[in-house]
Amino acid sequence: MATPVSVLRLPKGPDPNSRGFDPKSPRFIALCRTSISSSAASEADPEQLQREQHARSVLRENFLRCLLSMSNKKVQFHMHEKVKVEATFGASDIDVLNFQVSDLHTPIGVQKEALIRCQDVISVTFDV
Amino acid sequence: MAMRQTPLTCSGHTRPVVDLAFSGITPYGYFLISACKDGKPMLRQGDTGDWIGTFLGHKGAVWGATLNTDATKAATAAADFTAKVWDAVSGDEVLSLAHKHIVKTVSFTQDSNCLLTGGNDKLLRIYDLSNPEAAPQEIAGHTSAIKKALWCNNDKQILSAADDKTIRLWNRSSMEEVKTLTFDTSVSSMEYVADGEIVVITYGKTIAFYNALSLELIKTVEAPAPINSASLHPDKDFFVAGGEDFKLYKFDYSTKEELESYKGHFGPVHCVRFSPDGELYASGSEDGTLRLWQTAVGKTYGLWKCVLPELGGSAANILPDTTGHLQTSVDGVHALMEDLGAENSEQLYTPTPEIKA
Repeated sequence: MATPVSVLRLPKGPDPNSRGFDPKSPRFIALCRTSISSSAASEADPEQLQREQHARSVLRENFLRCLLSMSNKKVQFHMHEKVKVEATFGASDIDVLNFQVSDLHTPIGVQKEALIRCQDVISVTFDV
Repeated sequence: MAMRQTPLTCSGHTRPVVDLAFSGITPYGYFLISACKDGKPMLRQGDTGDWIGTFLGHKGAVWGATLNTDATKAATAAADFTAKVWDAVSGDEVLSLAHKHIVKTVSFTQDSNCLLTGGNDKLLRIYDLSNPEAAPQEIAGHTSAIKKALWCNNDKQILSAADDKTIRLWNRSSMEEVKTLTFDTSVSSMEYVADGEIVVITYGKTIAFYNALSLELIKTVEAPAPINSASLHPDKDFFVAGGEDFKLYKFDYSTKEELESYKGHFGPVHCVRFSPDGELYASGSEDGTLRLWQTAVGKTYGLWKCVLPELGGSAANILPDTTGHLQTSVDGVHALMEDLGAENSEQLYTPTPEIKA
């Protein structure tokens, strides 16, 4: 009777909380350039890089605070194809691919719950 | 001591896996991309099957997926009428190429500068990735949906297979048809082996091998069941095939003899490919899983570990394997799931929940 080949462990499955591509992996660190092309890490001097990083974290923090302060407020979405709709903002998903909204007012009626695709959105307006 | 094959199951997809592709060998190993009807193609480490990331963005079933040789770029073809190019290191979408119908197949040239696409609009398109705004070159000729399109002959020619039961060879420079192969039935898959210029074609229960330059038949082999995909080992000593009876078959290429068959999938096998080093092959199935199979059963490689028989199967003497994955202690070995090889084993772990995007 043949013995089955032993395995160390099973292959790791997807992480339910993220889309992966671990930025701490050696391959990512070696191959991934920073997203703003003006700051190719090897060319920029460390001081400029630090300033840019600081600016980036400030911008990111502002963005996240905006998302937080929008929750449960009435917001207006300006979208492609001259679409303007109003809804009550709920939340964003982690990769900012979808916004969860309630009471979405559309030309064909009010949608109680909806997901707005972020790539279709040009801008969001709300009163602070 | 006879060893029984233990396939490694990669879970994560929630719908049938319809296509898969390996990259070349890179300084970080080799990689595997899987196309799935759930619209979320995944990148995995090729030798272990470990999930690396999911490419999020398609809005429909993904029918085709490919990686460039150094696994820095990925391309996918989907039912949302787009082909997308991705950064395979960060997972970001780099380009979205709009088509007029479902896109079924994508293929990079060796220098990764051009992308070939084909789909239900019956046209082959060549995109210059350094100038994506420019209109692609279009090659017409097929009279039904294109299933698979590949570069061949050093990217100077293109091979395409379509539902019109033909396989056509085209010259890239003239964009003209050079040769056509006509079959009685639809071709289910096509694989190109650059080294040796061989095309592996499957239709019905047949696996056929053709010369890629002349499209002359080399040989055909009959399988016990309808075959959906086949792959030739890099050393051309064997080939594997899978299809409608859920099994994987291994054949000797020279003698055409069926050597082994393996059960494991719970649905038809849609795609099967050898890894670039030939040490394993991956299969994708209707059951939503990918499985990795050893070419040399019992060899220490990736997550598979050879157990020396004279130690009573306790693996007290852990052999260092070539990939450096062996890190468990002697005690940890007792936690190994020894019955993974059982043909009708139930799932040993629950699949992780679908990624919410």
